[in-house]
Amino acid sequence: MAIMYRLLRHKGAAFGAAVIALVVILAAAASILYPAGPFEMVGGTFEPPFQHAYPLGTDGLGRDVLTSIVYGTRVSLLVAVVSTVVAVTIGLLVGAVSGYFGDRLDDLLMRITELFQTIPSFIFAVVLIAIFTPNIGSIVAAISIVSWPPVARLVRGEFLAIRHREYVEAAVVLGVSTPRIIFVEILPNVISPVVVLASLMVANAILLEAGISFLGLGDQNLMSWGYMIGEGRSTIRDAWWLSVFPGIAIVVTVLALNLIGDGLNDALNPRLARGVRA
Amino acid sequence: MADKLFDRRDFLSGAVTAATSLASPRLIGGAATVLGLAASPARAEEPRRGGVMNIILQPEPATLVLALNITSQNQLVASKIYSGLLTYGFDLKPLPNLATSWEISPDGLSYTFHLAKNAKWHDGKPFTADDVIFTTREMLPEVHARARVNFSQVASAEAPDPHTVIFHLKTPYPGFICAFETSSAPMMPKHIYAGTDYRNNPANEHPIGTGPFRFKEWQRGSIVRMERNPDYFKPGLPYLDGINFVVIPDGAQRLIALETGQVHLASSSDIEFNDLARLRELPNIQLETRGYEFLAPLSWLEMNNTRKPMDDKRFRQAVMYALDRDFIRDKIFYGFARVPTGPIHSAVSFYDGNVKRYPFDRKKSEALLDEMGLKRGADGMRVKLELNPAPISQTWMRLVQYTKQALRQVGIDVTIRNMDQASSVASMGNHDFDMCFVTNTAFGDPAVGVARSYITSNIRKGVPFTNTCQYSNPRVDQLFDAAAKSNDRNERQRLYTEVQQILAEDVPVAWLLEMEYASSLNRQMRDVITTGVGVSESFDRAWMTA
Amino acid sequence: MNGALYIGQRLGKGAVVVLAIIIVNFLLIRMAPGDPATVMAGESGAADAVYVAQLRKTFGLDRPIPEQLAIYVANIGRLDLGYSHRMQRPVFDMIVERLPATLLLTVTAFLFSLLAGITLGAIAAARAGRLSDTLITVVSLIFYATPIFWVGLMGILLFTVTLGWLPAFGMTNVSAGQGGLAAGLDIARHLIMPALTLGLFHMAVYARLTRASMLEVFGLDYVRTAYAKGLPRGRVVRMHVLRNAVLPVLTFAGLQAGQLIGGAIVVETVFAWPGIGRLAFDALMQRDYATLLGAFVFTSAMGVIFNLLTDLAYLVLNPQITLER
Repeated sequence: MAIMYRLLRHKGAAFGAAVIALVVILAAAASILYPAGPFEMVGGTFEPPFQHAYPLGTDGLGRDVLTSIVYGTRVSLLVAVVSTVVAVTIGLLVGAVSGYFGDRLDDLLMRITELFQTIPSFIFAVVLIAIFTPNIGSIVAAISIVSWPPVARLVRGEFLAIRHREYVEAAVVLGVSTPRIIFVEILPNVISPVVVLASLMVANAILLEAGISFLGLGDQNLMSWGYMIGEGRSTIRDAWWLSVFPGIAIVVTVLALNLIGDGLNDALNPRLARGVRA
Repeated sequence: MADKLFDRRDFLSGAVTAATSLASPRLIGGAATVLGLAASPARAEEPRRGGVMNIILQPEPATLVLALNITSQNQLVASKIYSGLLTYGFDLKPLPNLATSWEISPDGLSYTFHLAKNAKWHDGKPFTADDVIFTTREMLPEVHARARVNFSQVASAEAPDPHTVIFHLKTPYPGFICAFETSSAPMMPKHIYAGTDYRNNPANEHPIGTGPFRFKEWQRGSIVRMERNPDYFKPGLPYLDGINFVVIPDGAQRLIALETGQVHLASSSDIEFNDLARLRELPNIQLETRGYEFLAPLSWLEMNNTRKPMDDKRFRQAVMYALDRDFIRDKIFYGFARVPTGPIHSAVSFYDGNVKRYPFDRKKSEALLDEMGLKRGADGMRVKLELNPAPISQTWMRLVQYTKQALRQVGIDVTIRNMDQASSVASMGNHDFDMCFVTNTAFGDPAVGVARSYITSNIRKGVPFTNTCQYSNPRVDQLFDAAAKSNDRNERQRLYTEVQQILAEDVPVAWLLEMEYASSLNRQMRDVITTGVGVSESFDRAWMTA
Repeated sequence: MNGALYIGQRLGKGAVVVLAIIIVNFLLIRMAPGDPATVMAGESGAADAVYVAQLRKTFGLDRPIPEQLAIYVANIGRLDLGYSHRMQRPVFDMIVERLPATLLLTVTAFLFSLLAGITLGAIAAARAGRLSDTLITVVSLIFYATPIFWVGLMGILLFTVTLGWLPAFGMTNVSAGQGGLAAGLDIARHLIMPALTLGLFHMAVYARLTRASMLEVFGLDYVRTAYAKGLPRGRVVRMHVLRNAVLPVLTFAGLQAGQLIGGAIVVETVFAWPGIGRLAFDALMQRDYATLLGAFVFTSAMGVIFNLLTDLAYLVLNPQITLER
């Protein structure tokens, strides 16, 4: 049974990778599969699913749910990946500077990080988006702004640990420039935990974007899963499929990313992984 | 469907009937004739006194003082506390309220109102002509935008005795008789408001009016309670013991409250259209689409006439042809609308449907666009435009989406702007838009509610709900001006007919829907919607079966 | 360093955080496009320039920004969170009115997520590698991947629309006037779905954390010693492993408490729960900045307080920790 459990973990990661691969392919191929786009009114209104023409049904304007879900992959991936990249960049910079230089600068930066971590992130993101007018740019910016603190903390911790290692001390003595030390000597060793964190952040970003679009703060010109669920809410009694299928898409995608994150964690931190399994 | 306003002779006869019947115990019979209730067969039911009516209120207004707040929600609530001089039937004929009778001089310059002699404010003080003059000459012009415009026509006003008011107008203005509906000109107590800071008067916490119901309490976020006014100036009324306005922020919860009978009335904006269609089938609910004749809400897609290619009427006509208004009416608004023919709603006086029509026809639309020289590009699009969103409700957002798609079909690439309602309204006022949606109300007479959207003098940058499409046609200006001032019914019809024909040809905006708002009533209720003012009526004769 | 000083320090730190939040928010929101005056004019239906200008003046939008901020910060000290011109009420009053509903929801969700999460995590750890462990892990993974609002909607679809067991909206039935026990039960019935919805996500988090934490503790020396001494397994688990494994989970939960409040805005919207989250959302839609800012500051402060409370709880549970920085 224990072995089976271990397999599940790896199998999980494999499953996750397969799902994400599918999502990426769909996102790339969306315009080939459904050239007219998700907003095209193709059928009767409120067609139920599991029929020939529209496997997942249609909505109040006769738009195909399956097409919309396929196009939704684009928004989810775009927002999640870009915001994670931005957040990781910010977090790396803050954490590196904080962890390397220590003292006052570290104090100040950590206070700021704590500040951002204390504010309830979803409300903060929503407020930011409202201020900068809802569009794809402000959504990405808002998600980045609320997501970078964990990266900073992690990077800072790693930097603090590595800062005083012998080879780093040696580099300092040898007069290697500070940026070089940070980027060439220390940073590469920090990458693996950051990568694990990043995969989880992408998952979280998808959830955030879905919530934002659900509340109606999304970009009106782009079809996103959260937006579909928000739209379907008022007709949930008569057209349950409008709320159910996009949600499943979100769950499967986020789950896949979490599994990948777990798998990466096992692979990159075998020491810890072993300790966990009693 | 021509003239809805009566001429001078009808004024007097109508006034006489009203005056005698109000004073006599035959109140119900006389008033029933006046109000058109006699149309129903011999009534087996006598109104029952008693019962408390629960009405949905959403969203909660900021203040209940009607002069200060004329949002539709507050009109619903405060119209039970305050009274105007007149009200208006389904046919838009003026009906007595605080004014029991009235005369208009032959030259149309003097309006004399005879006030109810026994009307009292809720604090016991008598209602007199001084209150009318204070309200219309001092308080409303300062705080009430629409009244300011209406009463700016008045040169002077006098009160020869405590129950008579005479208004002298600068020029004849037949639309003036439509200015006295309760929310357009609510009568305010002079002894409380004269000489005070109206907005911060402590009496605002406990509104005092002359209406059939007295304000009792307001638990913010929860409920507004009113009780019967025992000194109401119409003897025997109101029938109801009281009215509660229940605040229910969530749409689905409102639906449940209505279905289970916890509330007796939901106004149009409280229920989503798809749910209305379902409510129609329920045995304990009845839908009433009458009651919006005075407001006559008309919705359209506004186009900025100063921007290319919308400055060319062919483009605007093409847009009209490209929109399937039957689809919009049936699939987005679930049949709760009519397709308009032009700028004047079919229930409003001087409506004329003999104008150029625009049935859904993509070919015609494309032909016009081709004729203009707007060729399709590589991506299939001829021109790129932006559309303001309408984040009022999901139904409206669906209309926005539909419009985008429909216009795409003929090669007009529409992008929906990302903005909230406030910014959208602001951009409309600042003329910083390509296309946006507008719903306008007529208030009984084209001079009052319709002209303002099309006349050159009302192009005012920075102010929304004026002539924001910036259509400017001297002939149209002339026609509206003359029609507003003319005292002759036939002449007014001639003028308005010509204006409708010109506008239907020029299509400054794409008229989409005559909104048929439906009020949802519990079948226990009777005589709730009795006039063209609908749910914003005083409900003094509404009653509840056991 | 003694307890009182520590508490004082923590409070001071919290206050500084809240102040920073206020300043950040205020500046941000002032940079927004659109203004409340036009919204009010829009709703009236027939606007003109005089009216709109009057509204602008009433809203005080013509005074310099620094002055507005200074006044605002000073007012916070007096518990004056500003005045909502749209609702014609002081913001603090509106928030306090809704506070009980939000507290009820978030505290219930918090307790549920902790109790359920720790229990499930403990079971999973105790039966590590077996079917129940796998099951719990899978369920946790799924809930961890599910957006809160979707869980809520599915709950409504199942328990209200299909089965008709639970009410979907609001805190009580519309026709008010029930008292005592009946009212309490009514609220409890309405509370079930929202609280569960809000708590499920965090339950999944705590379950995984507890499991990992417990497995780590299982492997520690003093636990093995306890087994060696012959203490019964159950007792070992309860007395030592659980107690020590739970502590990091608690700390984490305290940090997360603020995020729970953030999730409340979505749950309150889906279930029409009359709390602060809903107030914030409505204010957001109407560009009612006073209310929005007030709600934001308030919820952040609540997060800081939750954090402080969990720190203190940690202290109580584990007095061995020395109060050092």
